[in-house]
Amino acid sequence: MTAEFYKLQYFTGKRLQIFLAIANRIIPAGNNSPGGGTLETAGVVDWALQKMPLNLRGKFLLFFSVIEFLGFFFGGKPFSKNRDDTKDRELRWLENNPLRLFRMGFFGVKTYICMGYYTREDVWKTFNYDGPIVGDKPYVDSVIRGICQGKVKVIA
Amino acid sequence: MKLEYDIIIVGSGAGGGTVASRLIPLAQAGARIAILEAGPHFDKSYFTQREIEMLDIFKDRGAWTVADGSITVSTGSAVGGSTLMYTGVTFRLPDEVCEEWKVDGITPQDLNPRFDRLIDEVHAIEPDEAIFENDNNRLFREGCEKLGLPVEKLLINIKECEQMGFCNLGCAKGHKQGTTEVQLPQAQKAGIELIPNCTVDRISKGKISATVKAAPMGTKPGSLSPGNYEFSAKKIILSGGTAGTPAILMRSGFQKELPAIGKYITLHPALVVCGIYPAKIKNYKGFPKIYFTQAFSKTHHHYLETAFYYPFIQTKHTGLWGQDLKYVMNRYNNMMDILILAHDEALPENKIVLDKNTEPQLNYKLTGRNIESLCHAQAQCARIFFAAGCEEAVAPAGKKPLFKKNEVDDKYLEEFISPKYFLPNKTPVASAHLQGGCRMGRDGKTSVTDSWGQVHGHDWLYVADASLFPKSSHVNPYLTIMALADRVAEKVKS
Repeated sequence: MTAEFYKLQYFTGKRLQIFLAIANRIIPAGNNSPGGGTLETAGVVDWALQKMPLNLRGKFLLFFSVIEFLGFFFGGKPFSKNRDDTKDRELRWLENNPLRLFRMGFFGVKTYICMGYYTREDVWKTFNYDGPIVGDKPYVDSVIRGICQGKVKVIA
Repeated sequence: MKLEYDIIIVGSGAGGGTVASRLIPLAQAGARIAILEAGPHFDKSYFTQREIEMLDIFKDRGAWTVADGSITVSTGSAVGGSTLMYTGVTFRLPDEVCEEWKVDGITPQDLNPRFDRLIDEVHAIEPDEAIFENDNNRLFREGCEKLGLPVEKLLINIKECEQMGFCNLGCAKGHKQGTTEVQLPQAQKAGIELIPNCTVDRISKGKISATVKAAPMGTKPGSLSPGNYEFSAKKIILSGGTAGTPAILMRSGFQKELPAIGKYITLHPALVVCGIYPAKIKNYKGFPKIYFTQAFSKTHHHYLETAFYYPFIQTKHTGLWGQDLKYVMNRYNNMMDILILAHDEALPENKIVLDKNTEPQLNYKLTGRNIESLCHAQAQCARIFFAAGCEEAVAPAGKKPLFKKNEVDDKYLEEFISPKYFLPNKTPVASAHLQGGCRMGRDGKTSVTDSWGQVHGHDWLYVADASLFPKSSHVNPYLTIMALADRVAEKVKS
C-alpha cells in the first residue's frame, strides 16, 4: 500500500526555507509552470538524499548554510531574505568562483534541484514531455513514484 | 564459507560476459566456472524509463565523479555492467588507433576477424534510415551534409528494437543485445554460475576473498546468502572495468611489483550540446543515435555523434539555470542534441587510487588539448545546428551559453566558444567510457599485462576489460573490449 505522506527528513526548519529560496532562483516560476521552490521538489531531493553516502550528504547539506550565510556579503541579509536579483548575483558568484569548492557546491545543489523538479509528472506537463512509454510500470519504491506523481503529499 | 571453482571471472560486463561465453566448452567439459558480479541483477521488468528510479543501475546512483568533481562518470553497477545502460553503439577499433597503441600482437589483422564474429554474435546492424532516422538523426545528417562534413552510420546491436528511446535507462524490452541478453544467458545455460551482489575484496594465487550482500528489493537474488566467502580457483580473470579491476589489484598488493596499475586512464571527456529547432520534433521518440562524423578526429581530436537525453539529465548537460534553463526546457520538444566525445591522452598522472575506504577514486585532470578539443567541437556543433535549421544553440563554454544564430557571425564561432570560457566544475563535462589502468605492454614497469591480458609474472591471473587499453580507443569501446576479452579467453583455454 502506498503511503499518503512523505515527511521531509533533511529539509526541515530553516534549511527548508533556504532550499526553497535557492530552488526558486535555479528554476524560476513561469506563466504556466511552478518554480523550483516547492515542497514537491524538496520531497524528491530529500528522498534522494537518503541514498547519498553519509559524508557526501553532510557536505551537501552544509552548503545550504554556506549559501545562506554568504547572503550577508551580497545584500546585507541571509540569502533567503535578499531580493531576487541579489540572490542571483550571489549564485552567479558561486558558479564562477575561482575556488573550486564553491563551484562544486553550486553545481551539486543546482543538479539536485533540477532532479527534484524535472522528474515530477506535473512539471512534465508544462513542457509537454510524454514520459515513459511503458506507462505506470511498478517500481520497488512506491514513495518516490507517488511524490513524482503528486499522489504522495510532501509535508515539512 | 569456502567454495571451489576451476575458473572465476570477476565482472559481467562486455569483458566478463564475453570471456564467460568463450569458456562455455570448458564448462561443458566439466570445469567449474563462476562469474562474481559486485552489482545487483536487474531484470528488464525493473526498467521503468523514469530517470530518478533508474539511478539504481549506475555506480553511486550516477553521482560518481573524478576526485575534483569536474567530470561526472556514468558506469554500470549491475549484472551486465555498462552494457545495461549503453546505447548499443558497436564500433570497430580504427586501424590507425590500433597501430598507435603499439602492443605486440594487437593488430588489425588479429582484431578484425574477432570483430566480424562478435558483430554477428551480438547482432550489430547498420540501422535502416527509413526506419530509424528520427528528426534528431535526420537533422544531424542534413546539417553535416550542408556543411560538407562526412556522415557515417553507427553499428547498433539491437534486435526487434521498438525504438522507445530509453536505452540509457535500461531496455525495458530486452531488445538491446548487451551481455544480459546474449553472453550471460548462454553461459548460465552451460552451467557457468552467476553470483550477483558479490564484491571481491582481495585476491591471491588460487584464492579470492569476497563479500556477498543481500539482493536489493526488486532484483534477482543469487544462490549465495549474504556473508563473507573464500573462493578458490586455478585461474582468475578480472573484468571489473577501469575502476574495479585496478582497485582489486591494489587492495591485493600487486602495485609494488607492477607500478603501472591504475595509471594511464582515459575517459573520452564528453559534452552534450543542443540546438533549438523552430518546429516541434520530439527527439526523445525513436532510436537516439544512428550517425556520427569523424571529420575532426585527426585534426581536433573529437567525434560527434547523435544522441538525445531525458529531461533531468538534459538540464545537467546544458549547464544553465534561472530563466535561461526554463526557456530552454520549455522548448524540450524542439531540441536537437549532439554528443561530443574527445580523444584524451593516456597520462600516468590520470589514475585510479584507493580512497580511505579502499574504494577506487579517479584522479583525472583535463589537459589544455582536451579543453581546446571540447570547445572546437561545440563550435562545430553550433554550425551543424544552424545548418540544420535551428535558430538557437546552447554551448556551455560559450561567451554566452544560450545564443541565437544571428548573434554570432559564423567566422567568430571559435572565438565565441573558446577555452577562456571553459571552467571546470561549471562546464558540465561527463564520461561514460573509462579506459586504461591495467594497460597491456611488454614491460612490467610501464604496463600491467601482456597482450593476452595475462598479468606480468602471474600465469594464473588475467585482465579482460577496458582497463587493458594502453591509450584511448577514440571510439565507443564496447566492441574492442569484447575482442580483447576474446583473446584473453583464447589464452586461458590454451
